[in-house]
Amino acid sequence: MTDSRAGQTALRTFADGPLTGLRRIDPRMRLVAAAVFAFSTVALHEFRSLGVALAAAALLAAWARLPAAETARRVLAVDGFIVLTLIMLPFTTPGETLVTLWGFDASRQGLEHALRIALKANAVILALLALVGTLPETTLGHALARLRVPEKLVQLFLMTVRYIEVLHQEYGRLRTAMKARGFRPRTDRHTLTSLGYLIGMLLVRSLERSERVMAAMKCRGYTGRFPLLDDLRSRPADWLFLAALTAACLALLTADRLA
Amino acid sequence: MTAAPLIAVEDLHFAYGPQRPVLQGVSLALSAGERLALVGDNGAGKSTLLSLVVGLLKPQAGRIVAFGRQRVTEADFAEVRPQAGFVFQDPDDQLFCPTVAEDVAFGPLNLGAGREEARAIVAETLEMLGLSGFGPRVTHHLSGGEKRLVSLAAVLAMRPQVLLLDEPTNALDARHRARLIDILRGLPQAMVIVSHDADFLAALATRSLRLEGGRVIP
Amino acid sequence: MHIVDGALAAPVIVAASAAAVGGIALGLRALTPEALPRAGLLSAAFFVASLVQVPVGPSSVHLVLGGLAGLMLGWAAFPALAVALALQAVFFGFGGLTVLGVNLVNIAAPAVLFGLLCRPLVRSAAATPAAVAGVVAGGGAVALTTIMVGLSLALSGEAFIPAAKLVFIAHVPVMMAEALVTGAAVALVRKVKPDAFGLVAAPARA
Repeated sequence: MTDSRAGQTALRTFADGPLTGLRRIDPRMRLVAAAVFAFSTVALHEFRSLGVALAAAALLAAWARLPAAETARRVLAVDGFIVLTLIMLPFTTPGETLVTLWGFDASRQGLEHALRIALKANAVILALLALVGTLPETTLGHALARLRVPEKLVQLFLMTVRYIEVLHQEYGRLRTAMKARGFRPRTDRHTLTSLGYLIGMLLVRSLERSERVMAAMKCRGYTGRFPLLDDLRSRPADWLFLAALTAACLALLTADRLA
Repeated sequence: MTAAPLIAVEDLHFAYGPQRPVLQGVSLALSAGERLALVGDNGAGKSTLLSLVVGLLKPQAGRIVAFGRQRVTEADFAEVRPQAGFVFQDPDDQLFCPTVAEDVAFGPLNLGAGREEARAIVAETLEMLGLSGFGPRVTHHLSGGEKRLVSLAAVLAMRPQVLLLDEPTNALDARHRARLIDILRGLPQAMVIVSHDADFLAALATRSLRLEGGRVIP
Repeated sequence: MHIVDGALAAPVIVAASAAAVGGIALGLRALTPEALPRAGLLSAAFFVASLVQVPVGPSSVHLVLGGLAGLMLGWAAFPALAVALALQAVFFGFGGLTVLGVNLVNIAAPAVLFGLLCRPLVRSAAATPAAVAGVVAGGGAVALTTIMVGLSLALSGEAFIPAAKLVFIAHVPVMMAEALVTGAAVALVRKVKPDAFGLVAAPARA
């Protein structure tokens, strides 16, 4: 995950880019396409098919004009425990011994399993960043609403993305004030307590702001309805894109099963 | 004699708990066409008074008469709020919708406008404030000055008779401040303006009152 | 504690996704129109807090803060954490898409459980037991999350079991960090804003 430095925005998305290629496809179709791609990719088994899936994801990324370096960084950044788990797999899976390291046998089956997971995870994330990560957060909210995601969940989503940046700036100001008084994070109790106070203060600020937001909503006649106005329109090309992607995924799955 | 005031408060008392009395017998009236400046030190109760007028806070004693009727219950104030448009001090509190168009349409849609009607109101209101084309913009990407103008648009879209402005020049650059003065001078609404900005008030106010020690001093 | 796509067996994904949908539904029921701005702002605050880097020895970790979210949001922590996980997956490439339900249940179920268990003590009048309850909620929630992550992997294949055990041990420092940070955050919030956990009905401020 990204770290948080003052002056940077909290949600650094790929939404700022030329509105060409993949970025012109209806956001709803892109969301559905991402789900189709993800579920069919995790169901693949053969390395050949996984290679095709990863290549397809790379094509989508290129079509979406994702910046290469930053994209690679995000795709490769996974939780440390996942890395540990994958490294251990060859040594804990029984099977044909491939190499022996410090007395531990690494099996071919285990190595293949770990490789499969890595290929699947990377292909799905790359496709997800290309298809959905290029949407402005608010457009994503609108698309989710149109896809019949429960209204309250969409409202919560939109409210959250609306205030992440506002609260991130408040966080930055609190953090600067701590720094001005000589705070440097270390591995000790003082650091943890101070960060706890910082997070507590951020929560207090967010609660107080939520009271003012509620007041502002009341002043404009809020009764629980949260009407959305969007400009989502699908053209035949959008349907064609979704149909083609779904057909390709099904074909790949079939080929994978027959192999 | 002139017509009855749009809003009148009489002998209003309010405290945040027993240790923090804020208003101790405040009376004032706002008539059509007036732009009333409300000044006073920090904590004098200016913002509190605005919140009381639209029923976001409930007074411990006193009367609030708005648009010809005494207002007591939440239902009373639900009627007052669209007519007395409250522009909050921090636009980020006021603009909670994803896009500018949705924020400006929020009030009209709640008041029963249809979607097409709401879109028309949005276009008209944004144009009036020189914000044409801002509709699809994402609210949190706007500059501070733009946010201020959009929050004014969001309130004006309800077609209020009165505007209650809380520190409207807060964090505004000179260009947007001048633009705000021009816009407010051109509006027909009666206004209560809470501000520390003396030049701004001098350019706008038709009358001025000071809150001090929980009371109004002319 | 984000599992990636491709690591888990289909039954684990199906079962956890069903539980996630149930948890979100329960959470949304608690989300009345009046509660929406509070939940939205807290959800945004927790997202920002999850970006904070906490030094642990030579490296640093991000906090989950599930226990704190459960304390402040109750069941609404489910949809709030769902939003956060979706944003992390879609915009940061962190976690995955098919495992969204698994990751949500692993983080949100302990959050709600420890949040509801510890909330009465956090609301109690004395500051020390309240802070201790915060420590328990913070440490307990992330410990249970780690166990559930291990269980998700173990149920997907026996070969994962040694790794799952090692992951739990490796996360002990993180649990301590979460516990202390949550305890301090609870202490501060209680002092500055006593009604945050539903302690007393203080009058609203303008």
